[in-house]
Amino acid sequence: MAAVVSLKNISKSFSIDVTRPSAFAVLKKLISTNGHYTRTFYALKDINIEIEQGEYVGLVGNNGAGKTTLLKTISGLHKPDNGEVLINGELNFLAGFGIGMVDDLSVSENIYLYGAVYGLDRNKINEKFDEIVEWADLQNFTGAKLKTLSTGMRTRLAFSITRYIDADIFLLDEALSAGDKSFREKCEKVFDNSKRRGKTFIVSTHSLEFVKKFCSKTLWLHKGEQMDYGDTESVLKKYIELKSNN
Amino acid sequence: MYFYSKKHLNLLRELVISQYKLKDQSKFLGFVWSFLNPLVMLSVLFMFFSLLMRNTIEHYVVYLLIGIIQYTHFSNSTFASMRILHNLKQLTSEAVFPKELLVISSIISNVFEFIISLLITVAVAYILGVHFSWSIFLLPLVFILQLMLVSWVSLLLSCFYLYVKDIDHIYQVFLRVLFFITPIFYDLSYIGGIAKTIALLNPLTHLISFSRTIIIEGTAFSFEVWGIMFLANSVLIYLAFTLFKKFEPTFAENL
Repeated sequence: MAAVVSLKNISKSFSIDVTRPSAFAVLKKLISTNGHYTRTFYALKDINIEIEQGEYVGLVGNNGAGKTTLLKTISGLHKPDNGEVLINGELNFLAGFGIGMVDDLSVSENIYLYGAVYGLDRNKINEKFDEIVEWADLQNFTGAKLKTLSTGMRTRLAFSITRYIDADIFLLDEALSAGDKSFREKCEKVFDNSKRRGKTFIVSTHSLEFVKKFCSKTLWLHKGEQMDYGDTESVLKKYIELKSNN
Repeated sequence: MYFYSKKHLNLLRELVISQYKLKDQSKFLGFVWSFLNPLVMLSVLFMFFSLLMRNTIEHYVVYLLIGIIQYTHFSNSTFASMRILHNLKQLTSEAVFPKELLVISSIISNVFEFIISLLITVAVAYILGVHFSWSIFLLPLVFILQLMLVSWVSLLLSCFYLYVKDIDHIYQVFLRVLFFITPIFYDLSYIGGIAKTIALLNPLTHLISFSRTIIIEGTAFSFEVWGIMFLANSVLIYLAFTLFKKFEPTFAENL
């Protein structure tokens, strides 16, 4: 089967100097005769993976391992320093739930805006509006400003809309870190359904339970390096071993 | 050539609606507020300069109003668009879509105000006894040029603002200077030398002059100058867009 995501020798570095200098600093740098030296660190080093259609890939690693950077690089939000990213199909990146929602707009206005960010048009939203609100348990809040909702309510609303997003490849960043147990169970049902429809998922998470349950393959990153990539059982075994040794 | 999918056009629509609602313009009071600033400027300038100018400039209120409306639209629209990528940083750095849509949505959300202001200007001119001719129908051509000018300036500024943090302060000073080097409350014939050269190099001078010619004088503006400006703005839009797309993959890491 052909790969839908293929990463070849991907490296990505960031500057650790001030990213948004003042105009004066920029001018000073331009006329400086001492030469420019930008301090950088590597967030990803030489990553090589191939993912086939319908695969669920878990991304594990400590904080700062490079999981988010990798997802952003695959989605095109970061440009790699080296290497090649090949994507075969329509891709959607969900960096946590609620990205792009606006506090000062109402719940219903946010449903249209958030849906549009992830490719849902007005007709589709109109068709699914009641289901979205009902799933999120927000029937009495459609006219309320988003800022009056609790974090849990917002997460439910965002995930409820997310259920209708269509793409071939989904990238999820720490998707299941929010919400209570019953919410996570509801989410897992959605994952189950998507799996049956042959969608490809790359999920960054700290929940090894989720990885064990859903992901056939796992990529383990550590300080930007690819420690291991392969079937979930063997990768997680090594990952847990190393974690317990430390 | 760059084409947008149906999904992107839908997103553009939703972004415009959201920004418009955020500006509170869907409510009557919010709408009134957006006209208060040019109205105050008009009253003050009229109070101080009408005695000086009314003998030489015909229909000075309309003359002032046209200048203020076009300058206000340019400054409000470019200033808001400059900050849009930064203000909506979550969308800029964590959602996948062409980021110029944010800038374009900001420009469009300011257009409604501009159209209504232009219509009010025409109505005021009529009430004050300005005789219109067929040339009034050329107003959309001025509108197009004004939008083109706002577009390339906004694309450039929004991009630079992500790399240099105090561009907004510098631009604010520039806008203040621009107010004086644009013939808003005076006529070009009052100035000379380097001041006149600067005013003539300023594209807003020509845009405002086009509107005054077709509304107050009732004649057509120079199509030759309009054509040159259209070509120049087309090239500048292309260059600004190319630069924007070149920098786009590094936006996320600057936020």
